Amino acid sequence: MPISADPIVQTSALPASALSVRNLSAGYAGRMIVDGIDLDVAAGEVVTIIGQNGAGKSTLLRAIAHLLRQRTGAIRLRGADVTALPTEALLQRGLAFIPQGRSIFPRLTVAENLRMGGFLLRDAALLRARIDAQLDAFPALAALRETPAANLSGGQQRQLEIARTMVMDPAVLMLDEPSIGLAPLIVGQVFSTLRGLAAAGKAVLMVEQNVRRALEASDRGIVLELGRAKLQDHASALLGDERVARLYMGG
Amino acid sequence: MAFPAMAFPAMAVIAQAVNGIMMGAVYALFAVGMVLVFGVMRVLNFAHGAVFMAGGYLCWFAMAHVSPIYPVALLFSTAGGAAIGLVLERLVFRRLRENLSMQIVASLGLILMAQNGVLLLFGADALQIEAPSLRRVLRLGELGFTVQHLVILAAVAVAVASLHVFLSRSRLGIAMRAASQDIQAARVVGIAPDRVFAITFALSGALAALGGALLGPLFLVFPGMGDLPLLKGLTAIVLGGMGSVWGAVLGGLAIGLLEAEATLFAPTDYRDLVVFAALIATLLLRPRGLFGTAIRGEP
Repeated sequence: MPISADPIVQTSALPASALSVRNLSAGYAGRMIVDGIDLDVAAGEVVTIIGQNGAGKSTLLRAIAHLLRQRTGAIRLRGADVTALPTEALLQRGLAFIPQGRSIFPRLTVAENLRMGGFLLRDAALLRARIDAQLDAFPALAALRETPAANLSGGQQRQLEIARTMVMDPAVLMLDEPSIGLAPLIVGQVFSTLRGLAAAGKAVLMVEQNVRRALEASDRGIVLELGRAKLQDHASALLGDERVARLYMGG
Repeated sequence: MAFPAMAFPAMAVIAQAVNGIMMGAVYALFAVGMVLVFGVMRVLNFAHGAVFMAGGYLCWFAMAHVSPIYPVALLFSTAGGAAIGLVLERLVFRRLRENLSMQIVASLGLILMAQNGVLLLFGADALQIEAPSLRRVLRLGELGFTVQHLVILAAVAVAVASLHVFLSRSRLGIAMRAASQDIQAARVVGIAPDRVFAITFALSGALAALGGALLGPLFLVFPGMGDLPLLKGLTAIVLGGMGSVWGAVLGGLAIGLLEAEATLFAPTDYRDLVVFAALIATLLLRPRGLFGTAIRGEP
């Protein structure tokens, strides 16, 4: 059953957007999977995109990260138009993306994974300082520096992905289903890590199937249906919405 | 120490071991370049033998027309091989990354073009690299081998060790391994795949051409000189486990040793039979090869 369209887009009430997407459409082989999406994420904010399988959630993030070439629309990063930039230039400008599933390099050590997180940093001293900062932030990883990433637990691998991404110190962090495959306790740790990043001024945009827990950790939510944003609202409002609960939280 | 049965005199076994390790080192060098491209790009470049052959001709050309100093000719050939690798990646294999059967067809086409191009440029006669000092025979007791045997072993050792340091320490080397493990993850950390692929092919071409330039002075330089290393290099890769650089190195050395020692107990013509029988036996017992893991390979 479709959700009635009642979009609440309060762009004016938000602080300046870190990430701003306008009229984004994207797809594969001529078929548009994401259809005219507008969204904003402000610094310090966690925004979660929810929706059923096939709604276009992953495609939306991949299109923003420019991992998907077939797309139209406009993307602004901290005010600058970055629509045409390739993935690595976006990363250099402060837009990072952690794709779905395990994206660590399994046979590189934790230290090598972190070093690759800073592949685009040519300043060796800065790179070292950034890696050390991440090892301070994730002490479990510091103890496993020389361990191949494949030998880490699922939660540690997710920590490593986040730490590796934060080596670039991005302003905007996008994550595709960060809680997938993790034990409930670890899911809580991941979401609290993301809240911590937001508190430090990062803009966080994620896609989640674990809707209730994700919204509990979010400021706002966007409901995606058949490639369109059906509903955007404060996370607390979505959590209290009986239709959202029935359709996406199995309740 | 006496051999239990005196069918193989100890000295002959040792002499063949020296020959075998030398040829094995060449196979290893060849196999490492091929496995690098396969590991990073999932591309099987059967034209790798043509680059090896081009290395032999580049060495001959450098010795005859650029500088008669052999190390200079080696560098010239290696650099030429890197350039050939870059061109092959850019013009041919970049477009065929996901398509194994077209990689094979394109490789065969490239081999034909390379061999006939060489015929056109240098003629059908095998060429001799003029380097008498490299063919000087050294004696160690009863053992005799050429200077070039030592040059080959030293050059391969340096090349493999440098490659190891590059892959394990340098930013680009680690990025190559990263791209081989997860290409999408490589893209999201900002490693541009096309650049990694170009570097991989350049490195692979350099190693193949170095092999041809090393073997050239011992044997002759001719259009088909890359065929044997291709066959044996592929065998080395499969024997070693289709994965690691070290598997390819040890596989190459094992094949060189095996075929050299085989000549002691079987007619020389049977040595390939021995090598391939050993390969089949190994794969029956260990389908992943000697050093392979269940995970598909990385360099």
